[in-house]
Amino acid sequence: MSAMFDEKYLKRIEQRRKEWETGTLKRSLDRFGVTESPNKFYTPLDIREFDFLEKVGFPGEYPFTAGVYPCQVPGSGPVTGGYHIGGGGGLIRAGRYLGYGTAEDTRDYYQSEIIRGRPGGPNIAFDLPTQIGLDSDDPLAQGEVGKTGVAFDTLADFETIYEPFQGKNNLDKIASNWTINAPASVILAAYIALAEQRGIPLSALRGTLQNDILKEYVARGTYIFPPRQSLRMTRDIIVYCSQHMPLLNPISISGYHMREAGASSVQTLAFTLSNAIAYVQLGVDAGLDVDSFIHRFTFNTLSGSMEVLKEICVRRASRRMWAKIVRDRFGSKNPRSWLLREAGGFLQGAWTATSQRPLNNLTRAVIGGVAGALAGYIPSVEPPYDEPLGLGWSVEGQQLAEDAARIIQYEAKLTEVTDPLAGSYYIEALTDQIEKEAWDLIKKIDDMGGSVGAIENGYMQRAVAQSAYEYQKRLETGEEIVVGVNAFTGEHEIEVLPNRMVPYPYDPAKRAQAEERQIAKLAKIRKQRDNHQVKTILSQLQEAARDEKTNLMPLIIEAVKAYATIGEVCGTLKKVFGEYSGYGTI
Amino acid sequence: MEMSKMSKKRRIKVLIAKPGLDGHDRGAKVLTMGLREEGMEVVYTGLRQTPEMIAQATLKEKPDIVALSCLSGAHRHLFPAVVKELRNRGMSDIPVIGGGNIPKEDVPFLLEQGIAHVFEPGASVKDVANYIRNKFERSENP
Repeated sequence: MSAMFDEKYLKRIEQRRKEWETGTLKRSLDRFGVTESPNKFYTPLDIREFDFLEKVGFPGEYPFTAGVYPCQVPGSGPVTGGYHIGGGGGLIRAGRYLGYGTAEDTRDYYQSEIIRGRPGGPNIAFDLPTQIGLDSDDPLAQGEVGKTGVAFDTLADFETIYEPFQGKNNLDKIASNWTINAPASVILAAYIALAEQRGIPLSALRGTLQNDILKEYVARGTYIFPPRQSLRMTRDIIVYCSQHMPLLNPISISGYHMREAGASSVQTLAFTLSNAIAYVQLGVDAGLDVDSFIHRFTFNTLSGSMEVLKEICVRRASRRMWAKIVRDRFGSKNPRSWLLREAGGFLQGAWTATSQRPLNNLTRAVIGGVAGALAGYIPSVEPPYDEPLGLGWSVEGQQLAEDAARIIQYEAKLTEVTDPLAGSYYIEALTDQIEKEAWDLIKKIDDMGGSVGAIENGYMQRAVAQSAYEYQKRLETGEEIVVGVNAFTGEHEIEVLPNRMVPYPYDPAKRAQAEERQIAKLAKIRKQRDNHQVKTILSQLQEAARDEKTNLMPLIIEAVKAYATIGEVCGTLKKVFGEYSGYGTI
Repeated sequence: MEMSKMSKKRRIKVLIAKPGLDGHDRGAKVLTMGLREEGMEVVYTGLRQTPEMIAQATLKEKPDIVALSCLSGAHRHLFPAVVKELRNRGMSDIPVIGGGNIPKEDVPFLLEQGIAHVFEPGASVKDVANYIRNKFERSENP
C-alpha cells in the first residue's frame, strides 16, 4: 500500500505506459530501425512504495537523504575571494592539498599562499617515505624523498612547516589536514608537541587525520603493519582524541581511493561503510560511549564517475545508510553522531581525467561540480584540468577550477534549492536500488568477519581489481567511451593546449635537491638531540607495544618531542607488529 | 604421455613489478588479469619491490619479459636501477618495459638507460600484449 500514490492511479499509469511502449515509442523505434530504446523513462510505477518522510525527510534530520545539514552557507564569498571551499563565514577549513620537497620548501609555498589571501590551515601532502614510516636517509627512500609531498622525519619539520601560521593564524585559529595513515600517530604527536611548544591547549586544536588504514590494503598501499596491529594504532588515536582533543577529527574514512582504484560505485559505498563499521567497533571495544566519538568521524569523498546522476544517488544513499548504521547498528542516541560528514563536492571522479586533450578535464570537472551542487554539497570543480599531465596543478588550472565552482554557485545558483532532485522517479528508484545492493555487499563482508576478514582473505582487493579490469575491457572494446582517448581521435580533431604563464610554485630545482638537503638536516638532528633519551623512550615504546591494551600515544608523543624520527618510531613498532605483504593476493 | 604433432607453443611469461614506494597498482593489476586473458602466464609481485627484489624474482620466476609500473615520479631512478640489477645477474637478455604515468620528456632517457619500451597513459592491454607477442613470436619461429 503506497503512502503517496493512489493504487487506481498507478494502474492507469501502467496502462498508459503499455500504450506508449507499443504505440508512440514503437513507431519511433521502427523508424530508426532498432528494437530497444536507447533511453529509459521513469514514472511513479518505479517508486510505488515511496514514502517521502521515510526515504527523504528534511535536510539535517534523519535519514539525511537530502543533506546532513539543515542549510548550507556557501563558500568564501565574492568579496573575500580565497578558496571556494564550503563552509562560509564562521567555519574554519584547511586549504588546498599541497606539499613538496623539504619542510622549508613547503613552508615557503604556504607563506606565498597566505600572501595571496588564501586562508585555511595546511592541507599537507607527505612524501611516500614519510607515509610508509621511513626516514629520508633510509635506503628504500632513495629517489622518493619530497616527490609526492613534503618530507617529514622529525618534529623539526613540523616546526618549520607551521612557521607561517602564527598570530591570527596560530594553531588555535586554523584547521589542518594531514593525509597520513599508517604513521598517523607520529604526525599527530608532532602537532601535539608543536602546540605544547606554543602554549596552545590540545582542546583548541582543529584538524583531520586521514588515518584510514583499511583502505590502504585495498587501494592505496601505504600500509606498514598487518591489519589487526594497525587497527590497534587507529584505536589508540581515536581514544586519545576523544579524551584530549574534542575538536580534532581522528579519521577520514575514504571511499575515494577504492573508487579511483577501479571499485564500482556499490563496492565503494559498501566497502567504505564496512571499514567505518570496523572503526566504530574499535571505539566501542575500547569502552567508549558511541556518542562520545562517532560525531568526530569524517568521510573523505566517495569519488565518482562521469555518470553523475548515478553518483548523486550514491551520495543520497550513503547518508541514509550511515545514519542507519550509527543509530540502529550501534545504538547511538545523539543525532549529531548520525551525520555523514564528507568533503568533496565533485562527483565525476578524479580518475576520469585524461592526459589526452586535457582541457576536456575542466568540462568533466564542471559536470562533477554541477552534480555536487545538486547532491547537496558546496560544489567543487576538482581536480584542475592539468592533473594527469604530471606537472602539478598550474595556477591557471586552479583559477579555472575556482571560477567554475563560483559560477555554479553564484551564477547558476545550483545550491539555492536543497536536494532539488528529491522526488524524481528515477533518482528515488536508483537511490533505493543502490542502497539495497550496498547493504547486500555489507552483509557479505560481515559474514567474512567484517572488513578485516575481507582484507585478510584478499576478497576486497580482488573485487576492486576485477571491477577495474572489467572497466578496462569495456574501454578497449569501445563499450565505454572516453572522448579523445578511444573515440573522436581522428586527425581532424584539434588538441587545445594552453600555456602555463604563471611560474609554477613548486620550484623544480628545489624539488630535485630536496633529498640531499633533507638527509643533511636529518644527520644534524640525530647529532644534536639527546640520543640516550631517544633510545630509552623507544625501548619503553617497544615494551608497551606488546601489551595490546596500552595506548601508545603518550609514549609516541614523548619520543617525537625528543626528536625521535618517524623511521625510528615505526621501526620500533615493526619489531613487535611485523610488516604486511600483499604478495600473491592477485 | 601423448605428444602433440604440432609444435608446442610455450606460454609467454611476464613478471609485472611495482618498484619503489608507489602504491598505485590499478594498472599493474589490470594488466596482470588482461595478459592472463591474452594467454600469457603472469606473476605480479605486489607493491614495494626494490630493484634487487625484482631481480631476485626474475631469477626465480624466469619470465620472458619484465614489466615495471611506476606512478610516483621515481621512474628515472628506479627503472634504470632494475636494468642494472638484471645485468649484474647475467639477465641482460630479458627485456624490461615500463609504464605508469611517465612523462613524454622522460622516455628518451629511459630508452637510453636500457628500457626496451615505455607505454604511455592510454595504452591498452592489447597494445602491451601485441608488443610482447611481437617481441617473442619472432624468436619462437625456427
